[in-house]
Amino acid sequence: MTTNGDKTAQLRRAAEDAFAEELAALRTSDGRPRPPNWQMSPQAVVTYLMGGRLPSGFEVSPKYIGDRRLMEIAVATLATDRALLLLGVPGTAKSWVSEHLAAAICGTSRLIVQGTAGTSEEAIRYGWNYALLLAKGPSREAVVSSPIMRAMNEGRIARVEELTRIPSETQDSFITVLSEKTLPIPELNEEVSAQKGFNLIATANNRDRGVNELSSALKRRFNTVVLPPPATIEAEIAIVESRVASLGRTFEIPAEPPGAAEIRRVVTIFRELREGVTADGKSKVKQPSGTLSTAEAISVVGSGLALAAHFGNGRLSAEDLVSGITGAVVKDPVQDAIVWREYLETVVKERADWKEFYRAARAGA
Amino acid sequence: MAEIQIYGIRHHGPGSTRSLRAALNAFRPDCLLIEGPPDADDLIGLASHEGMVPPVALLVYRPDRPRDCAFFPFAAFSPEWVAMRYGIEAGASLRFIDLPHAIQLADGFGVARGESAPPDIEPHASAADAPSEEVTAVAPAAIRRDPLGELAEAAGFPDGERWWDAFIESRAGEDGDVFAAIAEAMTALREEAEPDPDDAFREEAREAHMRAAIRAASKTFERVAVICGAWHVPALLRHDARGQAGADAATLKGLPKTKVAAAWAPWSYERLATASGYRAGVLSPEWYDTLWNHGGQVSARWLSRAAALLRAEDLDASPASVIEAARLAEALAGFRGRARPSLEDLDEAARATLCFADDAPMRLIRRKLVIGERLGATPPDSSGTPVEADFAAQCKRLRLKPGADAGEITLDLRKETDLGKSHFLNRLRLLGIPWGERRQARGRGTFKEAWFLSWKPEWVVELVAASAEGGTVAEAAAGRVREHARNATRVAELSGLIATLLDADLADATGDVIQAINDRAAVSADVFDLMEALPPLAELARYGSVRSSDTAPVLAVVRGLVPRAAAGLVAACQSLDDGAAADARNRIVAVSGAVSLLEDQDLKATWQEALRALADQEHVHGRVVGRAVRLLFDDGMIAAGEAGDRLRRALSRASGAIAAAAWIEGFLENSGTVLIHGRGLLDVVDEWLGDLDPETFVELLPIVRRTFSTISAPERRAIGEALARPGGAPPGDEDGTRLFDAERATKVLPILRLLLGPEPARAAEAAIEGDAT
Repeated sequence: MTTNGDKTAQLRRAAEDAFAEELAALRTSDGRPRPPNWQMSPQAVVTYLMGGRLPSGFEVSPKYIGDRRLMEIAVATLATDRALLLLGVPGTAKSWVSEHLAAAICGTSRLIVQGTAGTSEEAIRYGWNYALLLAKGPSREAVVSSPIMRAMNEGRIARVEELTRIPSETQDSFITVLSEKTLPIPELNEEVSAQKGFNLIATANNRDRGVNELSSALKRRFNTVVLPPPATIEAEIAIVESRVASLGRTFEIPAEPPGAAEIRRVVTIFRELREGVTADGKSKVKQPSGTLSTAEAISVVGSGLALAAHFGNGRLSAEDLVSGITGAVVKDPVQDAIVWREYLETVVKERADWKEFYRAARAGA
Repeated sequence: MAEIQIYGIRHHGPGSTRSLRAALNAFRPDCLLIEGPPDADDLIGLASHEGMVPPVALLVYRPDRPRDCAFFPFAAFSPEWVAMRYGIEAGASLRFIDLPHAIQLADGFGVARGESAPPDIEPHASAADAPSEEVTAVAPAAIRRDPLGELAEAAGFPDGERWWDAFIESRAGEDGDVFAAIAEAMTALREEAEPDPDDAFREEAREAHMRAAIRAASKTFERVAVICGAWHVPALLRHDARGQAGADAATLKGLPKTKVAAAWAPWSYERLATASGYRAGVLSPEWYDTLWNHGGQVSARWLSRAAALLRAEDLDASPASVIEAARLAEALAGFRGRARPSLEDLDEAARATLCFADDAPMRLIRRKLVIGERLGATPPDSSGTPVEADFAAQCKRLRLKPGADAGEITLDLRKETDLGKSHFLNRLRLLGIPWGERRQARGRGTFKEAWFLSWKPEWVVELVAASAEGGTVAEAAAGRVREHARNATRVAELSGLIATLLDADLADATGDVIQAINDRAAVSADVFDLMEALPPLAELARYGSVRSSDTAPVLAVVRGLVPRAAAGLVAACQSLDDGAAADARNRIVAVSGAVSLLEDQDLKATWQEALRALADQEHVHGRVVGRAVRLLFDDGMIAAGEAGDRLRRALSRASGAIAAAAWIEGFLENSGTVLIHGRGLLDVVDEWLGDLDPETFVELLPIVRRTFSTISAPERRAIGEALARPGGAPPGDEDGTRLFDAERATKVLPILRLLLGPEPARAAEAAIEGDAT
């Protein structure tokens, strides 16, 4: 709930506010049938996510850059009344997609439960206003609704972030919600039944899924969509470049903007190790245990820039990047070190214009 | 005048087949003309044989060059197959009407008219079809192969069959005359299309021949049904146009001809799939099979099969999930404006609901339910495949007789025929036909090879089965090797395969195996596996084999393997027990030998660096560390002083007796000769023993004795003698040369000259060389 009035001064605006104009235009031009309580048709939701030109000539900006079919599966899932689980490594826009889906379908992306190791059942079901409870005994007024309960009452989309970080016994609270679509309140001998339009979008990291693995009972109640890392190296370079530029502004790093060649090199290394195959597709390489997400590539370039600015000559060089890359790759000191060493010797060494980087990496290894 | 119907079909399209079957039942033709090789007319009757189980293929080949062959695969859902079966049951006359392959495979066909197109025939694959052609195939060619599929794709349908459902069948109206609609579409399409730049003449000749066949049939039969690829319909409709007969006769006049043979061969869905490089193939044979056999409720059936498949693999797939998957598939189809889910929708639905977006189960589904593993069969008495013909031709050429009595032959690999025999027998072994068995050759010399030959008649079956993998014995053998390479899990297994390939002279497959080695080596965590693979490869790379010359690709593999083995060496040597340590020691020694053999400074440096890291390890088994130190010492990477220090440190009292024993064993075992002749090592050991105080000496004595017991008694004696000589000089060292009496030696030279040859200069040289060694 927003308590301060001026929304434009917020550090970050919710999707439904930032893109209110687009959502309104889509709603007016949308003539297709809408599922009950949806603000627009499934097709319009996909257009909102992928961008496109409306018949009125209004240009909708793309929110998700990637495979349209994934968005179609996600929206079709929500339209068939199944809960949606978005999986992906960090930096693959899971939360971003979840926020925009909720904003487009039900007009609000704020019914959200942030999953942490400390998330309790009250955060998912309901809590009590203890003053009222003590004064008047159990009553409907004394119940403090969770975002999930509010979404059920209003027939909207609720969001759960980082589902696998929630302890397993708390996760199980979702099972009744998803299969029975009701939330019993035994103290009052009542229950809250979900209105049409209620659904759940959960996000989880599929690389370190060991945190709190989903039970198969819960897993079965979700349709799973994996959001992959950027499909092409060019797309990934573009993402890293723009994010690094904005990082540089935020932290006021006085270094020169990084050269395209250095960014390309970082992204190439990350992609090759992540995918287990060299960029030319000719030979395989071992994969390290870390995720090597785009987000990490961004932080490697960012910290390299900071190193260059404060301790170097202000120009991003191979030495500034090596420690960051090694740190991102070598998460397990034994196995990953072998992987990195092997990668240096069999791939990096062979590349004529990577000599400087190879020397720096050998010195650091 | 006869009534003629031309049915334009989509090759291997079940929807097309269904329409064709309905049309044939309505039309009741007494003659069916099918786009296929007339060379195989005699074999059509076998299609209804009870031993014939599709998928099968008709092969047409040149008996003199079985490599030049064409395949015509048929699945149960192929329109041509259904037409053949219909014709046989109805007692109608059946003919293939394509341009005979006796012409298409003849030398100079197409070239005579100023064209030099490669002999590549559609809609069937030619044996020489490389999968890489697939990638470069230009759009116009794709339209010719599968015009309906291309139209479907243009309309946004990933699967031509769904488009057929949606646009052709549902719009055909009451009379079910979908074929008129197709003819119309193709006429429009062909008006736009450019003539095929590569193969215009072939197409013209084929269509001319088909038109001529239609005209001929219309003279004798009442109702003639023509079944051909949709692309050809407009051209065939012109069969009775004015002047067409004369034009066609002119086209077909004077074409070259050759002798061809035809045979049925078992086929597989895997080979029918486009993925295998067959150009008119389909993406998903098993899916088409399902469409053909269970028209209506395919989605539910397909998803249930997927769930059953997952359950068989112990994966969670409840009926409730199947229902959810079906709902999602329907929703996706609706979303994309289709009445029924396509394979793509089902695939995505199964992925999201049944597989939790996991790739591994999806691969299983893809292999079993999209491509399929169905194998065809042909009647046992219908043999005559190209591989058999090639086998017979090779036997004749190499003067080998399959029926002959068992016996042993010795081959001299310097003779061409004998070398050919050796290659041939090795290839047959790869095909599971162990006709020849290698025996130890009598007499010395690497050029000799002895084989024991004994033929079994049932091996004919293996030959027939091999035709699914290639047109000749060599191709089929290469196919087997590739398959083996795909399935091999260990690198060492693959490096053994390389030697086999050289023995069988299958250079073409070498590249694939090398690729497989690189791939496996890159992801293999088993360093010892890599190390086991290295020595034989290094030997091949250095010396080649008796038969082969090009070893560059092998060398490239070795170059890739050494750094990988080096990177993982230290980690792999942790926590070894005695047995494993002995094993590791042997591998390390073998790899060191292999690396020296290659004489490549870079590789050597990389490997020595790894050995040095190993030598510095505190907790690795002594036998491994000891040997690593020794190898470095032998290579001069560690000076005598350092080696002595390491020896002292390893055998100091704090190390414990067992570890010390292991270390010195690793350092010295099997080194008798080196101790006798290599002064350095003996000095290091001698100095160390001499420096020990009496107490420690007594303590270490059993350990040292134990190690020296691995050295044979005469060698031990020689070591003792060397130590007893003043200054500890080994025999044949500098002291020895002083004993050399030049005057007495010169007296032998005349005799040597006599013995070694008439040219004095060379003989003298030889004599001096003899002295030097």
